[in-house]
Amino acid sequence: MKYGSKTGLIFFPAFDWAISPTHPEREERLLYTRDQIFEEGIMDLPQIAEYAPALASIHDIARLHFCVPNVEAQTTEAHLIAAGAAILLADNIVKGEIKNGFALVRPPGHHAMRVVHGNRGFCNINNEAIMVDYLRTRHGLKKIAIIDTDVHHGDGTQDIFWHDPDVLFISFHQDGRTLYPGTGYTYELGGPRAYARTINIPLQPGTTDESLLYVVDNLILPILKDFKPEFIVNSAGQDNHYSDPLGGMRITANGYARLTEKLRPDLAVLEGGYAIETALPYVNMGIILALAGLDYSNVREPDYWPGRFKESAERTMHVERLVDELLQRWEMRDKTSPDSKKITGNYYTRGKHIFYDTDYIEENQVEKLKICNNCPGYLLIDSEANHGHSRSGKVLCISVPFTACGACRSEAAGIYEQTKKSAQYKYIYLQDKTADIFFSYNTEGQIEWRSEG
Amino acid sequence: MFVGIDVGGTYTDAVLLDKDQVRAFAKVPTREDLLDTLIEAIDMIVRDADKQKIERIVFSTTIITNLIAERKYEYVDLLIMPGPGLSHDCYKYKPYVHIISGAIDYRGREVISLKEQEIEAIMLEIAKSGSKNVGVVGKFSTRNTSHEKQVAKIINDKYPEWNVELGAKIGSQLNFPRRIETTYLTCATREPYHHFIESVRQALIKRDIHADVFILKADGGTIPLHGSEEVPVETIFSGPAASTLGVLALTGPGETAVVVDIGGTTTDLALILSGQPLLSAKGARVMDRLTQVRALAVKSLAVGGDSVLNIVEEEINISGQRMGPAQCLGGPSPTPTDALRVLNMTDLGDRDKATAAMAVLGEDLNLSAEEVARRVVDRVVDIITAEIKKMFLEWEQEPAYRIWDILHKHAIKPTIVAGVGGGAVGFTARIAEKLGCRTVIPQYSTVANAIGAALAKPTMQVNLRADTEQGYYIIQEEGHQEKISDRDFNEQKALALAKDSLVQRAAKYGVEIAPGEIEVTRLEVFNMIRDWNTTGRLYDITVQTPRGIVSRIRMGE
Repeated sequence: MKYGSKTGLIFFPAFDWAISPTHPEREERLLYTRDQIFEEGIMDLPQIAEYAPALASIHDIARLHFCVPNVEAQTTEAHLIAAGAAILLADNIVKGEIKNGFALVRPPGHHAMRVVHGNRGFCNINNEAIMVDYLRTRHGLKKIAIIDTDVHHGDGTQDIFWHDPDVLFISFHQDGRTLYPGTGYTYELGGPRAYARTINIPLQPGTTDESLLYVVDNLILPILKDFKPEFIVNSAGQDNHYSDPLGGMRITANGYARLTEKLRPDLAVLEGGYAIETALPYVNMGIILALAGLDYSNVREPDYWPGRFKESAERTMHVERLVDELLQRWEMRDKTSPDSKKITGNYYTRGKHIFYDTDYIEENQVEKLKICNNCPGYLLIDSEANHGHSRSGKVLCISVPFTACGACRSEAAGIYEQTKKSAQYKYIYLQDKTADIFFSYNTEGQIEWRSEG
Repeated sequence: MFVGIDVGGTYTDAVLLDKDQVRAFAKVPTREDLLDTLIEAIDMIVRDADKQKIERIVFSTTIITNLIAERKYEYVDLLIMPGPGLSHDCYKYKPYVHIISGAIDYRGREVISLKEQEIEAIMLEIAKSGSKNVGVVGKFSTRNTSHEKQVAKIINDKYPEWNVELGAKIGSQLNFPRRIETTYLTCATREPYHHFIESVRQALIKRDIHADVFILKADGGTIPLHGSEEVPVETIFSGPAASTLGVLALTGPGETAVVVDIGGTTTDLALILSGQPLLSAKGARVMDRLTQVRALAVKSLAVGGDSVLNIVEEEINISGQRMGPAQCLGGPSPTPTDALRVLNMTDLGDRDKATAAMAVLGEDLNLSAEEVARRVVDRVVDIITAEIKKMFLEWEQEPAYRIWDILHKHAIKPTIVAGVGGGAVGFTARIAEKLGCRTVIPQYSTVANAIGAALAKPTMQVNLRADTEQGYYIIQEEGHQEKISDRDFNEQKALALAKDSLVQRAAKYGVEIAPGEIEVTRLEVFNMIRDWNTTGRLYDITVQTPRGIVSRIRMGE
């Protein structure tokens, strides 16, 4: 990878898009951020290059997600623009046009899982995950790390890369016992072929900058050093801020800037953050300046004074223990054997019950990973969604990973062809990432859709 | 009848228009004595019989631009209130900047109050230096002007003779650093601009002309002479605006055109998109200063008909310099104009001299004079077409913040390339050919700038910001801030308020506008939701009079 000298910015506030008029994810969300960064003249700084967003293609989304029934039904233009912005910046970073970037976009994406039946946690499609698979396809990147710094557990991103040994996913968040989506415990560590490539750091409500930066210095940075990613993505949610109405943490704008400076992400993508007046203008400024290598020490919330938040001894101890525990897991990453109870024949199976809070959908999934000695193995996901008034009908999703072996590829294709003949599923999907070809098949109409890169 | 006079650095062009016809035109060298130059230009186009029939006379000038380039302006002190945000080091590098306490946030709320002693101390310092031009600029002052006004009052109470400018009135857009620069230039150019205005006034008195007098602004609109003294920086770069409007007047309506103005040392490029001259998104760049001055998006290339040619690393190179006229016109060095002459693409000058110039260049490269000339012309055409393509690309890629804007912005292609200026004739056809466009070299193209000036419409703009939660609104250009007393304040009322303010502001400058012709160029309404309830609305409205020209010129066949 070459390195440019500027920080690329895409600011896409979607001033004409909302989930609903009074929803936190509404037109007004980035209004004051706009005011702040425009008034500061950020876009004129020689260290900043502003880009206009572009739309992601349906193909880019079909590479990552199984949208039921199809991509068009699950996305609006706003979603395509948000994902497209992440892709456009990533493209320019890898090409060496810019040194790093920040996609200041909405709607967010980190709660969107691999299979998409609707909107959950304000997300339909996962902007960062789509961008990651784009980079692997178009630029041949192998190892990528995603650091999720939103106050909510990035359960969508975790789901997508659970079995992927080449994508390291680290999320710190407010403890799932006290906040949506209620997951992200330390024992969630990834599938049998990707053990400890998922790391969850649940923090107690009230955590301050001090503990957060302790986690970064003593856990996240050492793991990143071991993993040696070619590209680091930051899912930059801003709801750890002390004024956020949904979260209960006490992180400051300065804390976010220091976090960014330490992580040195190639690309940051905005996730949540709903203190639209009291946090976002300042946190976004802090992140931009930190990425651009500019002095952020004068970025300060009007109601903040140094020393306002002090970490309790109890929380400090808790964080130290947490870091030790997870470091040990990380050390054991290649020595831990998978839970044998979950293996039947050649498949590793896990069941999932997924709730879509925004759209009130309940989904049941059985996910089977083919255990292969030559590659990470293909995935079979059997999914059915209950929309309250009706059921979606069963769908089967088959995903062949980038590094799949020939045997797994043809086996997966065989399953797809065979299942097409049965009436058991309403839709059948096949993603072959090795060839960048995606199929979907509607058994009722016997119609096949095919997308090639 | 209309008169247009464009005072350029080298030449002053003048035209007299009678309805849609050019009655007279003239080109005179711009001399040190501005008054003499103006009188000479007027005398060449206006005879006694016409004087009483002149309804309006419009001037455009690059004089202010040149003053800024040569740094011939007044000493200015700036008191700025950056508050929290970007490091104050970003503002400290200039000696005339004094940072004082005080901060306003994006909603116009006071975050840090002013400290009077600080201001007193700085005033003392300024007084000692003998300076008396002061600009006061606050971050977010467009959202609440009270800090700027308080500082101005403190200064004026003690030093009533000082000139104090407020940033909020000068830079109404959200961009504090550009507001600082624009305020600085306003303070700095006020005196020299006053001299220009005086020369204009005297010239008109001496020639007994009593028409309405206007000055062309960088955005292609005009402003009455007396009002222009308040906003001298708006007149910078009106030269390119003049020639672009000239092209509008000399070509068909609704065209998407590239205006190529090839001069001796530089080539200016401007775009007309479906009949509307394209404005730069955030404001003009004046030398190394980024301002909030509304201006046409103009690119200036260091390539002209008289650019010196030489050989660098076995390639023909176009240097950015001018040593004099082309060799075919008796100049010292080979130039693109010589290349045109060799290829018979112009009949200017002596072809033998041109051939000799090209032959010298060809010696080292083992090329004939004709071959060298072809390569020179190709090179000039390549440079200019590449820049034109880049301008269209930049326009396409201009950031947008709404889905609608992104989905509705499509790549557009120019249909005509209009050449104006001295070097236009030879190159324009080749540029057009490369872009797949028609070429237009309008009649009177050498005085297109003066024609554009003569026909430009007066323009005015007003920005209104209303915040119903906090219960006040601001008319930014007036620095006027008032409570919203109407409990049913809504979008229609906000719009009516903006339009009324525009009409009043125009009247103040002696411009009459019909409410029906007012354009709304920005209408942002945001509901403020707090805890799932609507607690207020934010309105950001920009209204303006239409830009453009009064009429087109009928072309003689």
